[in-house]
Amino acid sequence: MEQIIKVKSLAKFFGNYPALEDVHFEVNKGETFGFLGPSGSGKTTTIKILTGQLLATSGDAFVFNQPTASLNKAKYRRKFGVLTDNSGLYDRLTIYDNLKLFCDLYDVPAKRINNVLEMVNLENEQKKMVSKLSKGMKQRAQLARAFLHEPELLFLDEPTSALDPANSKHIYDGLRELTKGGTTIFLTTHDMHEAETLCDRVAFLHKGKIQLLDEPKKLRRQFSDSSLQVLLKDGRELLLPGGPNGAKALYEHMQADKVVSIHSNEPTLGDIFVGITGRELV
Amino acid sequence: MTFSMKRVLAIFNKDLKDLSKNMFVSTSILMPLVLAAIYGRMAEDLSIESYYLVINLAFTMTATFIQCAIIAEEKEKNTLRGLMLSPATIPEIFSGKSLVAFLLSIVTIVVSSIFMEYYPENVALVAVAIVVSTLFYIALGTLLGLLARSVVEASVIIMPVVFLLGFGSFIETLMDKYPILHFAEYLPNLQLIEFATKVQAGSGLTDVWSHLSVITAWFLIVSFLTIVIFKKKEIDA
Repeated sequence: MEQIIKVKSLAKFFGNYPALEDVHFEVNKGETFGFLGPSGSGKTTTIKILTGQLLATSGDAFVFNQPTASLNKAKYRRKFGVLTDNSGLYDRLTIYDNLKLFCDLYDVPAKRINNVLEMVNLENEQKKMVSKLSKGMKQRAQLARAFLHEPELLFLDEPTSALDPANSKHIYDGLRELTKGGTTIFLTTHDMHEAETLCDRVAFLHKGKIQLLDEPKKLRRQFSDSSLQVLLKDGRELLLPGGPNGAKALYEHMQADKVVSIHSNEPTLGDIFVGITGRELV
Repeated sequence: MTFSMKRVLAIFNKDLKDLSKNMFVSTSILMPLVLAAIYGRMAEDLSIESYYLVINLAFTMTATFIQCAIIAEEKEKNTLRGLMLSPATIPEIFSGKSLVAFLLSIVTIVVSSIFMEYYPENVALVAVAIVVSTLFYIALGTLLGLLARSVVEASVIIMPVVFLLGFGSFIETLMDKYPILHFAEYLPNLQLIEFATKVQAGSGLTDVWSHLSVITAWFLIVSFLTIVIFKKKEIDA
């Protein structure tokens, strides 16, 4: 499988502070790769290094098989889009005028503006001045700008942090459409629901180091204790252990027709993160 | 490296729309125009120094200050990063970002000259010097804008430039008393005054090329520094 991003032994120090240490991972073409971690764990630093905005202290980072330091060439810049907290918009211009500028810079026809605004649910707001937009609307406009030129690779740094659930869902649908079309997404988030909804694989970043990396499904299975949550008709909730003892207890409750529902007791990604790092994802 | 006029004009059009809604632009242009209107009514025949006091002020206020504020605002609002990450090349970004300040400066200088009734003996020669000077002042504005962290900071760091290059002709009067100030003779504003004085006295290109060369050298040095700083800002260490 073609690898769009390859990172080997990457480290970044700000003074003596290690923002990233010995980070290794690859991102395959067409997948949505989630980089999960709390604020200050090194997620934005990684995006900045991968987009050629920041130099690593040591290690190698390749995007499109190119060292990230050489990504300043126009032919590579056309191939990726970035949304970070510093993706500013021009306040005194409308959403349309902001996007029109980037259409011209990327040689994209202006009719594409309507498509991307539809994807972020802003098609009726395009004549609005950016200074008059709410934080969530600005974030959606920035997102529209990031994939305006239909990039092969999208870097999204907490893309829905300012959005309400309805708009987040709209964005998730749009991002899924993009991946169906072959776009690779590198997503950072501390929203576990977002990670579970969108990501094919996730990496847990804590204190600049990757603690775990796998598919969400496999991670949940790996950390599952095979116990079952059983809700009984009398309102009691039981946690039955796996194995013969749990099976026997469950059988007895079912025989007595007491069971309302049975759920496997798989941990969420958030539970796993807390379990391995001892801290919450905020 | 490619050079796309489409990208240059896109940045120019954006700046034109953006700056038409920006108060600091109109107020910066007004100062030299008001001064020119007052000077024009003060005396029948003004000296070259008087004309160029207004013209040099127009350079610092219109070319340098506006350009400096434009770049500083792009940095402050994180929009410069968007341009840096786009396929636009450094010459395209600089050209696009300089066009508004260039046109405003030329218009301000022409209108100020009309207000003061300054009609050079050799318009073509003076026009060349004005254009080269404008390019220098814009490059200086870009450099200062890249160094400033905000528009407020830009309006502070521009002050020594306004004093030294805008009102620099006052330094000439102090040179005899303080010989150390003779370095100022090589400043682009005083070179422009020398240039214009000689042209007004009937000199041709062969007599004034040295002054034009000094102004051009200033432009090249400042442009080089600007590109070095821009490239440093492109990638953080």
